[in-house]
Amino acid sequence: MAELVKVTINGEVYEVEKGRLLIDVCREKGHAVPSFCYYADLALQASCRMCLVRIEKMPKLQTSCTVTVTDGMVVTTESEEIEKARRGMLEFLLANHPLDCPVCDRGGECELQELTFDWGNLEERFIEPKNYQPERYLSPMVANDPQRCILCKRCTRVCDEWMGEEAIEAGGRGVATIISAYGDWLNCSQCGNCIEVCPTGTLLDATYRHQARPWELVRTVSTCTFCSDGCQLALGARGEEVLRTVARDRYVNGINGEFLCVKGRFASHPFVNHEARLRTPMIRYRKGGKLVPATWDQAIEFVAQRLSAIKEEHGPQAIGIVGSPRLTNEANYTLLRFARDVIGTEHYTATDAFSLVPFFENMGAPLATHRDIRYAQTILLIGGEPEELQPLTGKQIRQAVRNGGARFILINSVPIRLKKNAAQFVHVRPGTEEAALLALADADSVEFAARKMGVETSEIEQVRRALSEAQGTVVIAFGELSPAAQKIVAQLPYIYADDRRRFLFHPLPLFNNSVGVHDMGLMSGAMTATEMLDAAGKGVRALYVAGSFLQQHLKGREEALSKLDLLVVQELFETATTEYADVVLPAASFAEVDGTFTNNAGQVQRVRQAIPPVHLSKPDWLIVASVAEAMGARFGIELSASAIFRDIAANVPAYQGLRYPLLKDESRPVQVKHEIAQRRDISGEIETLRATIAQADETAAKITETPPVGHELFKLGTLTEKLPQFHYLAAGNPKPENTLASSPLVQLTIDAALRRQRQEMALAGD
Amino acid sequence: MSIISDIVESTKAIIKGMSVTFSKIPKEKWTVQYPDEPVTVQPRYRGQHLLHVDENGKEKCVACFLCAAACPSDCIYIVAADDPRPYEERIGVDNRYAAVYNIDYGRCIFCGFCVEACPKDAITHGYNFELSVYNRADLLKTKDDLLITKQKQSPNYRVAWADEDVDSEYKVV
Repeated sequence: MAELVKVTINGEVYEVEKGRLLIDVCREKGHAVPSFCYYADLALQASCRMCLVRIEKMPKLQTSCTVTVTDGMVVTTESEEIEKARRGMLEFLLANHPLDCPVCDRGGECELQELTFDWGNLEERFIEPKNYQPERYLSPMVANDPQRCILCKRCTRVCDEWMGEEAIEAGGRGVATIISAYGDWLNCSQCGNCIEVCPTGTLLDATYRHQARPWELVRTVSTCTFCSDGCQLALGARGEEVLRTVARDRYVNGINGEFLCVKGRFASHPFVNHEARLRTPMIRYRKGGKLVPATWDQAIEFVAQRLSAIKEEHGPQAIGIVGSPRLTNEANYTLLRFARDVIGTEHYTATDAFSLVPFFENMGAPLATHRDIRYAQTILLIGGEPEELQPLTGKQIRQAVRNGGARFILINSVPIRLKKNAAQFVHVRPGTEEAALLALADADSVEFAARKMGVETSEIEQVRRALSEAQGTVVIAFGELSPAAQKIVAQLPYIYADDRRRFLFHPLPLFNNSVGVHDMGLMSGAMTATEMLDAAGKGVRALYVAGSFLQQHLKGREEALSKLDLLVVQELFETATTEYADVVLPAASFAEVDGTFTNNAGQVQRVRQAIPPVHLSKPDWLIVASVAEAMGARFGIELSASAIFRDIAANVPAYQGLRYPLLKDESRPVQVKHEIAQRRDISGEIETLRATIAQADETAAKITETPPVGHELFKLGTLTEKLPQFHYLAAGNPKPENTLASSPLVQLTIDAALRRQRQEMALAGD
Repeated sequence: MSIISDIVESTKAIIKGMSVTFSKIPKEKWTVQYPDEPVTVQPRYRGQHLLHVDENGKEKCVACFLCAAACPSDCIYIVAADDPRPYEERIGVDNRYAAVYNIDYGRCIFCGFCVEACPKDAITHGYNFELSVYNRADLLKTKDDLLITKQKQSPNYRVAWADEDVDSEYKVV
């Protein structure tokens, strides 16, 4: 507990922690202080001068955002003098600000507009013409109106501190200062956080330009459907259409604050109402024939009959059930119950890129929340590329180093962008990240591993020392690892156990519900997705797929799906999997269902229905339950998302006691209680790992090039390709000739061949 | 009360009533023979809305949605769109314009709040009052019905001029 000091604000005495900012204290105690440039957790700026207060024994009015509270401080936040100063400041801010609120997209949720209501004068005394500057585009995602800028520099600080990109900066001098990018074009990761934090309409979402006004949108707090970080976002829907996604703290206050990445902010909603969505159930009555639209009753009946027939003929094991790490816990759990209770098959799995089962079985420490990462003392990252694949984790690591002074150790074969924040970067040969784990777990293998990785022994010793001398919180984050390596990493806390430190894990799976689909038990079936495809037509006669197989599963097995007797697919869009499907059932997207996702920190967060299901689609769990009912089986629960979650809480130990009302508050996410494993013998795994690593090529060249920004983020997937601007980014984001007032999309037709090529390169389902 | 006083009282009442009737007969008639004759509407009459254009024929509406927000009966529906072309080529005065502007006269209560809310003087009440239709769906008027350049004005009204700008009930006859 920090030292307490006595502060008097407007005659009332408060006891607060020493060293806090005065503006925070004032606001917390209910004394409103206006500000533009102050933003919690960012470097202080004190340029807007709106937060002026009178502090006794100080000569002039002071900016409360730069003053820390001290004992005996006497503060006045409301007086004639302060009001005069604030009104004067606002008049200056408005001197160049155009009064075009009717056409400005920010109108209605603009901080400048709000504070003008409070502190503005009725009349403008400046009669000089305003400093006119034309509207323009800074990228396909970011529209910019420099004249509206009040130079609070929140955007530049966010870009620098959160994203580490320094893409957007203030240029020019004096009254000619504007916010701009190098070469007037943003070649950054297009996260759009500058748009989010902008208190005026200077930086605007170019994909939602002039579409609706904020007061018209019905906002629903939900969870992002892309990576495993599970950012909380607010979907803005008008009628039955989702128009935008924001994370403004006035609407939503989740683990990510106002942070979102390019996918979460711009690509979360365009696919929801996209015209390519499947509209009706479809049945292919004859192999090689056409998919014929059918009613739900026909389709469910057809599926139930065919499944029953195959079960009768070939036994229950001939039917495979495939879930998806994109779907809610409720959908995946219903699929599991369908597989176990209705079909009775052991062949169930989910289409995740890799399984985390070995890690969770041997997990020797709890999972780290994103807050834990931000305030960690030591962070070890093995493999993975969080700034591209899990941007929130990347941001938290960056802030932990920059603002928290954490020690960040990076073990990777690729010099990823986070390298510049790393205290130590162990640059290994391609594919030998696991050798580092071997060296960390087994002191005898250090020299062998170092030789294979192509690094000095001292580098490994340094990492070992850092772990064994670390104090406070140590977060171990890791990307894709082999099962043996997963077990070893899960047991590392026991190897380095000490009272002075606490270990936390942060796995980096690729999908929004990768952890949830594991928790539901779908990943621990008898077959993996690829094995199931290999067995198609032999051991497995029928597949029931919710979602689609990833490209990496289908690669080299393109014919597998055509060998099946029956393929039932629940999907949003036509994909490579639906090509051979006998029955295609239109499923509802995340914006149309209630449910939960579990993120990589083990936090189970709500997904809420923003709009009713489009066309004839239905929630995934409802489709599965209908098929089960047509096959004569009832799950014994009433059919609603919350009832299924109650069933999950009753049957999955980690989710015990959870109910929807407990998950209501997104600002206090609930972490599920994954079982902490006892210390296990890992000598077998060490041997396995040693044998694998022994095959590694000692002469392989290291990758010395830092991958370009967006090489993973801008990949086109089934969902992201529904946003036209994403094609522009995927095609390299070239600067158009004219950035003024017309969208780059209008000006450039992206070369179709290039687009196709990028699409093929991209992983499906990303 | 005797029967005689009854007769006297009722005769008095009849005479009183008929005196009003007969006194009005030689005077000027106030019945407007609508639709044979146009109705005189007051300048501030609130009839069917008009969407205005500027001197170059560009729509004044910038689709700010303030009218829709002010509307108490929720009868205005707008879809805003971006028109990046230069002023000469585009539809509206600004690069933001209303691609769709619908008013549902089945719901409209002619309160005039939309007109007051408009920051661009783009919407006003016109004088057209003949809104009855045979099909309820026809009460939904689109931009084609509302734009001042397209709205057909009824021949059945005339606007009161300043010198006769007084309501009939106060008019000295």
